[in-house]
Amino acid sequence: MTLRVASPVAGRVVPLTDVPDPVFSQAMVGPGVAVEPDRVAGDVVSPVDGTIVTLHPHAFVVATEDGAAVLVHLGIDTVQRKGEGFTLHVVKGEAVRAGQPVVTWDPAEVEAAGFAPICPVVALDATPDVLLDQAAPGPVSAGDALFSWQR
Amino acid sequence: MADKAEQILAGLGGADNIVEIEPCITRLRCEVEDSGLVDEKLLKAAGAHGVMRSGSVVQVVVGPEADTIASDIEDLL
Repeated sequence: MTLRVASPVAGRVVPLTDVPDPVFSQAMVGPGVAVEPDRVAGDVVSPVDGTIVTLHPHAFVVATEDGAAVLVHLGIDTVQRKGEGFTLHVVKGEAVRAGQPVVTWDPAEVEAAGFAPICPVVALDATPDVLLDQAAPGPVSAGDALFSWQR
Repeated sequence: MADKAEQILAGLGGADNIVEIEPCITRLRCEVEDSGLVDEKLLKAAGAHGVMRSGSVVQVVVGPEADTIASDIEDLL
């Protein structure tokens, strides 16, 4: 089976290698794609149906029933914001549906504070060959497919 | 898992070398007293995917179990 992984934000699809952080650009924690978000405040939605297994203001992991874990990271080094500017709508352990709002943020505010607001979306611990149908670089809406994860 | 925490702590130069340790989803961000005591080989042997240094801050990429490892390390401090 394949898991459809949706974009958590609206913006522009870019390769993971464009992310200015070696953890993501070198796919140290898994393959994926990144979204350069539109610079407007808005909701970040879950990329898949699953459970919120890790939750920080600036990043979260959703695990599906069969154990596929998708990481969404909102900007680079944004842990240093210590939650400022991020409003959470879920709690750790909560079940979510793909497309459900998880957090609200403002990429423009993050950028103004000196951080890159780019959002890596990573198939944790997957190998690159199981990522299919990767979205071509270009505009994307929240909820549009970013890639399929062959399970 | 606790063994992994011990190994990573050793790779960071031991408990006395840790100023602050904080998990961030995929990595441990550690401020150390003496970055010269950080042993990258040991950290990689402990399962780190990568190690990044910037002055006194060492980032150990451990994957999604960073939160658990960090709390295990906190228990050892």
